[in-house]
Amino acid sequence: MASKRSKRGSSDEGVVARVSNSEIVKQGKRAASDAAFVTKKLLRSTGKAAWIAGITFLILFVPLIVEMDREQQLNELELQQSSLLGTPPPSQ
Amino acid sequence: MGSHVDVHPPIPAKEMEVKKDEKVDYLNLPCPAPYEEIHREALMSLKPELFEGMRFDFTKGLNQKFALSHSVFMGPMEIPSQSTETIKIPTAHYEFGANYLDPKLMLFGRILTDGRLNARVKCDLTDNLTLKANAQITSEPHMSHGMANFDYKGRDSRTQFQMGNGALFGASYIQSVTPHLSLGSEVFWAGQHRKSGIGFAARYNTDKMVATGQVASTGMVALSYVQKVSEKVSLASDLMYNYMSRDVTASFGYDYILRQCRLRGKFDSNGCAAAFLEERLNMGLNFILSAEIDHRKKDYKFGFGLTVGE
Repeated sequence: MASKRSKRGSSDEGVVARVSNSEIVKQGKRAASDAAFVTKKLLRSTGKAAWIAGITFLILFVPLIVEMDREQQLNELELQQSSLLGTPPPSQ
Repeated sequence: MGSHVDVHPPIPAKEMEVKKDEKVDYLNLPCPAPYEEIHREALMSLKPELFEGMRFDFTKGLNQKFALSHSVFMGPMEIPSQSTETIKIPTAHYEFGANYLDPKLMLFGRILTDGRLNARVKCDLTDNLTLKANAQITSEPHMSHGMANFDYKGRDSRTQFQMGNGALFGASYIQSVTPHLSLGSEVFWAGQHRKSGIGFAARYNTDKMVATGQVASTGMVALSYVQKVSEKVSLASDLMYNYMSRDVTASFGYDYILRQCRLRGKFDSNGCAAAFLEERLNMGLNFILSAEIDHRKKDYKFGFGLTVGE
């Protein structure tokens, strides 16, 4: 059906219709829509992976970082106190 | 925490001895870990008591040996269903408990407002023979069960006999083969379900690492490895494989014991990440945060709690 129309188009339609109906433009359109589809899928899966990685990091490592920082601060405070008072830090 | 500290002191001494004269005294091997607890280090880091909702635990010692505990839990409860989607219904319960602690005899009783009663006894009959029993009684029929264990602790081996209701019998034996390696085996027979099985286990531990492996005729294969990076940090990983249902789960976790808190985290191959934080706010006052995220099932569980007195 499409080929019929293109044959008719070549005889009594303008240049624009002939170009837009030509094989190469059709292929280009298909390629463009395929590329858009793949990009969309890729973006979506990347986003999902980023979401999972981000949430996992938030759950597993953010508390760890916070607690390590607190521990270090405590150690520093103890060291400071011991240097000020001149007594060995109380062993736990 | 305390239990895996008390096992290790004899081992460094043994190691020194081995290094000194390169000869193992096979008549003086250390006592192995109990068969049912060979994975305890890995379980301790990888299986914290995750929960969803709010909990409050209060323990009050009346005297040196007797203590009462009260705890309140509020939150959604999962109901097992055939569909993939989990069904949760909100529940709340109160639990009252009484503990009697004595070096020779320990008694624990728990009763919940929904009618469940749980009782545990641990009693040293002689220096080497221990009786452990626990019973759970519910208002629903066929859900109550009881079990009794006799543990015999030898010089370099442990033997256990187990019997429970539903004609369940089991026996296990674990023996130290070298100062670091212990091998064990178990048999069990469940008369009610007409099932029996046999299992083997091996455990290799030094003061830096613990590696265990266990197979059973039920198709279960469990491997675990714990590396103690320092006194405060240990890393654990395990692999569970079921030959019958063909499902494999691998997980990796960390366990940080800091001065103010204990933090455990794990990630497994089912896409499930979990963290459990116990923060010590004050003497005898602990704040608990629990988080579990199942990316595949889109099941997110968060919980917080307070523990007073211990």
